Amino acid sequence: MLSFSTPLWLLGLVLLPAIRWLHRGGPHRRELHVSRLALWRGSDASRPTAGERRPPDPAWRRRALLAALLLIALSGPQLPEQRVRVTLWIDDSLSMLTRETQATRLVEGLARVRSLLAELERADVEVRTLADPWLSLGALNDATVATLVVGAGRKEPAAPPAALLRRDSQQWLLTDGADATLFAWPGDRRPDRIVRVAGVTRNVGLERLSARRHPDDPETFDLLLKVTNGGTAEEDRTVVFTVGATEVARVGVVRLGPGASRRVEVTIPASAAVRATLQPGDALPDDDEIALDLATLRKRRVALDPSCPKALAAAVGAHPALTLVPSDAGAAEAMLDCGTGGAATGLPTIHVLVDRAASRPRGALQWSSEVAQARRSDLDTDRLRVAAHLQVRPTDSVLLAIGDEPTVVRRAGEARRLETSFDFTAIAATRGPELPLLVNWMFETVLDRSLLDAIAVVDRGPRSTLVAPLPIADAPAAVSAAKVLRSSSDEARLVLLVVLLALLWEVVALLRQGLRMSPPGRPEGEYRSAKHEGIPVSAPAAARTE
Amino acid sequence: MASTTLIEPVLPSEPELQSFARAAAQLLIDRQARAPGARTIARRAGVGIQHFDHRDYAPGDEVRHIDWRQTARLRRPIVRRFESESVSDWTVLVDASSSMAVHGAAKARAAARMAAAMAYALLHLGHRVEVLAFGGRVLAHCPRGRGQHHYAEIARLLVALQPAGSSERSELGVCARHVHGAASAFVVSDFLADDEMCRNLGALRQRCTALHAMQVSDGAETSLREAGEFDLVDVETGARMQAVTGDDANVFATRERAAMTTRLRSFCARSRVAFTDWDVSRPWQGTLLAHLVQARSHC
Repeated sequence: MLSFSTPLWLLGLVLLPAIRWLHRGGPHRRELHVSRLALWRGSDASRPTAGERRPPDPAWRRRALLAALLLIALSGPQLPEQRVRVTLWIDDSLSMLTRETQATRLVEGLARVRSLLAELERADVEVRTLADPWLSLGALNDATVATLVVGAGRKEPAAPPAALLRRDSQQWLLTDGADATLFAWPGDRRPDRIVRVAGVTRNVGLERLSARRHPDDPETFDLLLKVTNGGTAEEDRTVVFTVGATEVARVGVVRLGPGASRRVEVTIPASAAVRATLQPGDALPDDDEIALDLATLRKRRVALDPSCPKALAAAVGAHPALTLVPSDAGAAEAMLDCGTGGAATGLPTIHVLVDRAASRPRGALQWSSEVAQARRSDLDTDRLRVAAHLQVRPTDSVLLAIGDEPTVVRRAGEARRLETSFDFTAIAATRGPELPLLVNWMFETVLDRSLLDAIAVVDRGPRSTLVAPLPIADAPAAVSAAKVLRSSSDEARLVLLVVLLALLWEVVALLRQGLRMSPPGRPEGEYRSAKHEGIPVSAPAAARTE
Repeated sequence: MASTTLIEPVLPSEPELQSFARAAAQLLIDRQARAPGARTIARRAGVGIQHFDHRDYAPGDEVRHIDWRQTARLRRPIVRRFESESVSDWTVLVDASSSMAVHGAAKARAAARMAAAMAYALLHLGHRVEVLAFGGRVLAHCPRGRGQHHYAEIARLLVALQPAGSSERSELGVCARHVHGAASAFVVSDFLADDEMCRNLGALRQRCTALHAMQVSDGAETSLREAGEFDLVDVETGARMQAVTGDDANVFATRERAAMTTRLRSFCARSRVAFTDWDVSRPWQGTLLAHLVQARSHC
């Protein structure tokens, strides 16, 4: 049965009678050739509509055919074709890496899908993953399988979006059935076929690991680990924390019922990374181990100018996220310059200016709008002192001012650079909280990161450890009949070829008509002279006898 | 002898031409006769070999034309003048426009007969005759010649002359540059053009000593047999006009044609152009003789 991909174009066929109407013949009168039109000026003029109507121009059939073919081509004719288009959705969750009897669920499932597809004579398969549905992996081949195995478990999968569920293709789903959310397809759409690969039902996994700096001891980290039993049986596990090859903590037997979770808290020395491992392992080894990069929690090294006041150096040294290094150390990440540190280091720098005696500025505290509300500290201006006057250029930003007096200015330039006129020695003498607050705020600003509440975390999601298949109704086990795939490209191309031939026909007809209608005309320069024409006319008798 | 059959269907037969030439000779010869004291105004001094008269020498005159005998007798320089040869030159202008081709080209055939007869008679009397066929331009040209043998060339031209069926206008003015000197011109045309070719006739009259206009008319062109709704097409201009033809229209056309003839006749009378309106249904011999008689009396 012929069908059309965009049948609205067929509405243009109603214009065909208009083409016939446009080619209608007008009133036709017989012609009479007269020697002089002026002789007949006085005769009665006939009516404009008089005469017999001529038959329509036969070209209307050709042009109507051309228009009809064009419209049909635009509407995308499709002929039935025994070709199946399959969109294969792959559940690439972590549980698909569960090892079954011979291989992982993903590998076994893909092998089963390939065998099923082999039963179809002609099938166009397009592979997409539920974790990244908008990326088409193309046909199902060995390279696609390798890509799927490598990328599985990295992102949380979800049900496919409605825009990708085309009606003209079958939707197949390869899953282990452990995650019910993957079956909640949009609207009334359901997979046409579900290939389930699930045998193992026991699994305990590490779902989440987070770390933060110990509030009382900056040299240690507090770890929080979430262990979840995603299987159907009660399990006992031991958690081991290692830094490099060194075990730094161990938590004894953790007993977990089916679907239960438990949080494990440990404190370990500050380090660059930590790894937590469940013992003994199970069929899904990928969730028995979790690694956490602790680099975000390490202390930032600040190069200190020796000329800086001791109170300021002590405040920086006491900051839990900062550590002082000599000014000539090469690994510094920021610099505190009090006049002799130099400014050409390229590091984020806080420059403390002192050019006069300390004084108490007058006026209210004024924060720049560039400073987020959460980062603004509650400072007592009575305990603040300034010992310099900051010159502000048009390109600079005044981050903090007291009255009309700018006290912290961010200089424009490639390297972040703050200049302050605060007298930290005088501020320290007031014994208020302003000094550590200012130090923390200025270093958070110049380093552009939060220093006090940093948390490192790895979260696999609440469904990452689920491996047991849920009792979900399967789609029809076998594809009863191949869904008809309608391909319009070939048919449209054929129609367009016919249209081109008709166009060629039209052009030739127009050329012939133009040649016919060109006035024959007497050739220019035609000028007969009896003396130059060889007409065999003899002279009359009188001439001959002369 | 066998080739003469090509001429017979279009042109008059030789006995007809000879008969006409003898009848017209008196009319044409009398023009040339120079009885003492009866010199015609058509004669004029010019370049030639026939002695005309004497006059006093004027600076610039040819020294070889001085009549020494008369100079010695009168005691002042006298030069001899000659009669201009151009008085014996004739140019026959035949209309070959598309309007001559309608209704079976009866007018064209009649014009060819008339031109042939006139040329034959003139050649018979020793005049030099030139024939031009004109439409929107000069369509055919037989250069000026003398003697009966020249008639064969003229006859060839007239036999081969076939007016175009359409789009060939009537522009008599294109022949003006061919008429020069003191030649006489004989125009055979239907004069169906703007202002009945009066302006072109006037210009032509300035270039020749005598001008004859023979209007060829055909009753069929003003009495259409078909009646009803028609697109009338002017064969020369291609202009169209929707009209209802019939008896009324024919009457009006006949009246209009007569009015045009009257206007042309008046113009010719004012301009000293010998004019005759010839209906092709009438014999050409009588018409042409009557025309020459009329021309002789007027000019």
